[in-house]
Parts: sequence; C-alpha cells; structure tokens
Amino acid sequence: MSENVSVDEQLDWKKAKVIAVGVDSGAVSSKAAILLDGQPYAFSQIRTRTPKESASGAINAALAKTDLKLENIQNIVATGRGRDQVPFAHETLSEIACGAAGAVNIWGPSVRTVLDIGGESCKVIHCTEKGRATDFLWNDKCAAGIGRYMETFADLVQKEVTEIGNIALQSDHFPKLSDFCSVYAQSEALDLIQSDVSVEQVIAAYHNAMAKRISTLVARFGMEKNFVIIGGLARNPGIIHWLESILEVNRLAPKPEWDPTLTTALGAAVFADAFYRRQQSDTSTAAGVDQALST
Amino acid sequence: MNKGKLLAGLDAGHINTKAIIMRGQEILGDCTVPTGFDVVNAAQTALNDAAESAGISMGELGGIIATGIFKDMMKVPPLSATTTVHEYMADAKGALFLNKNSRTVIDIGGNIHKAVCYDQNGDLVDVVQNDKCADGLGIFYTTMGKALELSEQEMSELALKSTKNLSIAIQCALSAQSDAIDLICQGRDIADVADAISKFIAERVADMSTYMSLTKEIVVAGGLAKSQVLIKHLSSLLNQDLSVLKPPEYVGAIGAVISYEGER
Repeated sequence: MSENVSVDEQLDWKKAKVIAVGVDSGAVSSKAAILLDGQPYAFSQIRTRTPKESASGAINAALAKTDLKLENIQNIVATGRGRDQVPFAHETLSEIACGAAGAVNIWGPSVRTVLDIGGESCKVIHCTEKGRATDFLWNDKCAAGIGRYMETFADLVQKEVTEIGNIALQSDHFPKLSDFCSVYAQSEALDLIQSDVSVEQVIAAYHNAMAKRISTLVARFGMEKNFVIIGGLARNPGIIHWLESILEVNRLAPKPEWDPTLTTALGAAVFADAFYRRQQSDTSTAAGVDQALST
Repeated sequence: MNKGKLLAGLDAGHINTKAIIMRGQEILGDCTVPTGFDVVNAAQTALNDAAESAGISMGELGGIIATGIFKDMMKVPPLSATTTVHEYMADAKGALFLNKNSRTVIDIGGNIHKAVCYDQNGDLVDVVQNDKCADGLGIFYTTMGKALELSEQEMSELALKSTKNLSIAIQCALSAQSDAIDLICQGRDIADVADAISKFIAERVADMSTYMSLTKEIVVAGGLAKSQVLIKHLSSLLNQDLSVLKPPEYVGAIGAVISYEGER
C-alpha cells in the first residue's frame, strides 16, 4: 500500500458553504479530491489491492489530514473502473465525463481532446469548452494494461518506474519492438538482453512501442486541438515525448501544481459540486449543470 | 562417472538465473537470482552464492555447464562455461534424474513454457513450446500477485479456498490481466480471482500440450510448478496425474550437469 495526501492549508473548510468530493476508484489506485466552494482543497492517492479498500483509504486519508468528517461533506461522486465499489458515494459517473470535466477545469475552455492513460485502460475523449464529454474511444483489448505493464517492465529491467521515462529519452537509436501487443513487446524486449543493445536502448524501444500503440487510438479517433494528456502515464516523459513526436502535436504544457493522475478525481468533485448546487437551486435541466460547471 | 568432481549447472532464463552445485548425483547447493538486464552479473552472483551455500570455493569447481535462453552468453569470459546444453535436453535429463519413471516434463517458466518427451535414457522424443501469444505467463503470475498484495505461495493457498468458478481471458496474459482487474473492480472475492488467474495459466499450458502426446509419467518443472492450485487445474485439464519435481526451478540447471556427466 502506498499513500499520498496534499492539503491547501490556506483554505479553511469550516468557512465553506459547499464541500464536494470526487473519488476516482481506478484499476491500480484510488484518488480523492475535495473542493471547498469549487476551490481545490485536498487531494489523496492510495494504492491497495481492491478498489473498495483503496477508495475508503483515499477518502479517509484526506479526511484525517483535514479533520473533516464524512457528514460535513455535501456531495460525493465516485468514478473510475471500481466506482460501484465505493460505499460512501452519493452518485456515480463515468470516468469519461469526469476526465473531460477535470481537464477543462485545469487547462481551461480551449481543451477539445483529452487522452487519459491510466493503469489499466487508455481512452481518448472529445469535449466542449464547458468540459462536457461529447464522444470517446476506449482502448481495444490489445491496448489494455499499458500502465501496469510499464511497472512490470520496470521490474524486469530492475529500474524504478518513476525513472524509466527519463531513461527512455537517452537513446535516439534503438531496435523496433512489436507495437501492437504488449505481450509481444515485453517478450521481444527480454530477448534483446543477449544482443549488444544497452538497457537504455531497450527502455527507449519499449516506450516508443507503447507510445505508438497509444497514438493509434488518438489517430483513429481524430484529434482537435487543444490536446491534453491525463492519467498516471502523463508523468512519464518517455511516453509523452514519443506520443508528441508520432502524433506531430504538442499537448498543452502540464500545470506544475497539478498531478495529472488526479484529473479525473477533480472532475468528479467538480460534478459533485455542480450537482449539489443544482439541487439547491432546484434547476434540474442540463443547462443548470452547464451553468453550475461554468461558475 | 567421476564421483569426485564438483560441477556447476547454470540455467540463464529470461526472468531468473538459477545455479546449482553438484558432485556426482549429489546436489550440494543452489541459488536463484533475477536475471534483470545484466545476465552475466546475475549468473556470477547466482554461481557465487550457490558455491557458498554448498560450502565450496569457486576454485574447486571442475566445470560450469550452461543452459537456458541466454546460455551462449555464459560461454565467454568471465564465466567461460565448459559447455552448453540445450534447454530441451537439460529439462529431459534433469527430469529423468529427479524422477526415473518420468517420460514427459512440462516446464512452466517466467516467459515461456514447454513440454518435452524423452525415453528411458533421457534422449528427446518430442518437444512443444508455447506460441508467442502465450508468452509471459510467469511474469503475469508475479504481476498479479503484486496487484493482489499476495506472495505466490499465498495466492495459491487462497485460490484453493475459492468457491466460485470464475474465468478470465482465453488468449493472452494481457487480456487475462485486464479481465482479472475487471473482476477485482467488480468486488469479486480475491480467492476466486486468484483461482481464475491460476486456471488461466493452466489452460494456456494445457492448450500447448495438446499438440503432442504426453507419455506417462508426467512431471512438472519451472518456478510456477510450486503453485499447488496451478497443478490442480493443469492435472484436471489434461486429465492426467502430475507430480512436481523437487526442486522444480532447478530442473534445467541439474539437467545440464547430468547431461555433461553422461557425455563423458
């Protein structure tokens, strides 16, 4: 189990009118985001073996650090692959809707395409300037698990998963690996051990192959600018470098204060906030949500 | 056979490098080291630690016999192996040495799995190896153990307690991982998921084995053979009694030494 919590100490939840929480219960880890009147307040990320444990862990870690109680919170929206396993959620929403809302909340209304590369799945989302998802493409089965396979790969080459993305940038020349199937790519990478290819080159080759695999999803679905990348692999410079070079487009620069892994949880919190306001103002139309989202 | 000569068997696999120290028929020491990306370094470490566990110094070794996918890298200095033995041959010789009545060995390794049939002398009769789509079963097993926060032994013990018959993918470790994670996200019992993972691996190995007639007795080698639940599923899928060689992960290394002894 690993745990990560951050709190904006400048804010005081006791003064907030609306406390909204988003929980992204993913295939690898759960993330929680707390908003005070729409302002980002606290974030946490917990990794355990089941979504149920990690979702509870994520919210409890954030509550513990802020002295908040579950009953102080007006609304909790759960999203992610394990969203049905979050016992304390008031509502659930798809990670597509939340990914788009989170991305627009961070990068602003110019975002039209969101690429979400997570531990187990990878998806491309088109959205409006208000952060409403209009269409999406989910990875085909052969492009599943790229995040978790990256960890396995790091173990196999005996490097830290946080450092292999930088190592991947050290080589311009490397052998080509299968870029359709992660099983093939992994096996071919292992076979390279006995050639005179360096470990750095093999790491570059693997990142290149995975970036190519992800890029086919974006290319197939079509991309309108501006383009952003969210999810855990958005922190991997090797994947980002090759993606941008293959797609011939630059993503909007990451916001240094934002961990892209938390984007979807933030989106869920934005919805939780908007839903609660809508309930209060008693406008039950979609326009009401748009209005609430844009405020 | 020179009973007095100390020999080392070195099995340099995709995932683990295994070393064994033998004198004649006697196993004196062993060691397993993750291969990582430095095969030679892993082999040296494995060899040194195996010698230490045998209570001998490297200088006493009368020879190093290498097998495994990276055996050719052992031929050159610094290891300068005396000779190399093909994995199929090493598996056959090692399995026959550990079980005189065996005629087929199923070897489930980290990245590849294979079945080898042999005669009473340990000479090869037939061989089958997995297709590329079934690569990486051992890696997959380790990865899933990590995801479930269980050791491989715990995963097997838990899976044996499973009460539901869940299934995951029929094709590859990648879709199996995706399906297993789906089951976890649906809140399924970990024991049932662990069972489904083990059954998937058994199915892939059984599928491979249909391409060859398996002569009795059938024995199982490789690190994954330690998983009781996996053996249970494999035995039921093949409709055959299986026995696990001891120690399963050193069959290749032992076979390399036995094969070399037999040549002389």
